[in-house]
Amino acid sequence: MEENQKKPKNYLVESILVTIFCCLIFGIIGIVNAAKVNSEYEAGNYEGALAASKQAKTWTLWGFIIGLAGVVIVGFLYLVMGIAILGSAGDF
Amino acid sequence: MTFSKKNILLASIPVAILLLVYFFYNPEDFDWFPKCPFYSLTGVYCPGCGSQRALHSLVHLEFGKTASYNFLFLPALGVVLYNFGITVYNELSGKQLTNYIYKPIFPKVVLIIVLLFWGLRNIPFSPFCYLAP
Repeated sequence: MEENQKKPKNYLVESILVTIFCCLIFGIIGIVNAAKVNSEYEAGNYEGALAASKQAKTWTLWGFIIGLAGVVIVGFLYLVMGIAILGSAGDF
Repeated sequence: MTFSKKNILLASIPVAILLLVYFFYNPEDFDWFPKCPFYSLTGVYCPGCGSQRALHSLVHLEFGKTASYNFLFLPALGVVLYNFGITVYNELSGKQLTNYIYKPIFPKVVLIIVLLFWGLRNIPFSPFCYLAP
């Protein structure tokens, strides 16, 4: 019965990318869940593996979103500061 | 199909832009590169610290520097490329080569290496300080 069920995606690669590039704890929680996906599946617990896969997806996705939001916010602040400095340059 | 032609094409655009940005701009010389939030808050290096400088070194083919900024950068890239290669190969050829990323031991080893690296690179004396970015 378990053999014909597709192995759930473990999101290990995504977790590693979040760990390296977003430097958030989210990536590490993703790796923990990736490990869980593999071992639960191997143990024949398909439901458990699927649940861990969903967890891994959620954590890596949020890691990515927060990382991206950080980049956008920092970029926006520098843009605003740049415009402010350019705008005030003539006053001095 | 995670690696459909459409997905690969869609993903290659931001990847190409990122590579170009990190080729032409050195993160060490410009303030507008994002800083690590974990390091900014705690003063402790995280496992990803140095990866922007590592990427800059990598696209200039300075592999030694890449490893010195983030020792796990190249192995991580290896895992990403391995997964991409084997998935695309299996899809194109219809074969079922084992993807070792799905072996129970693999993510556990990754986790142990990442946690060890995290701890060791924050020890402020030789030889561990070489792991700091």
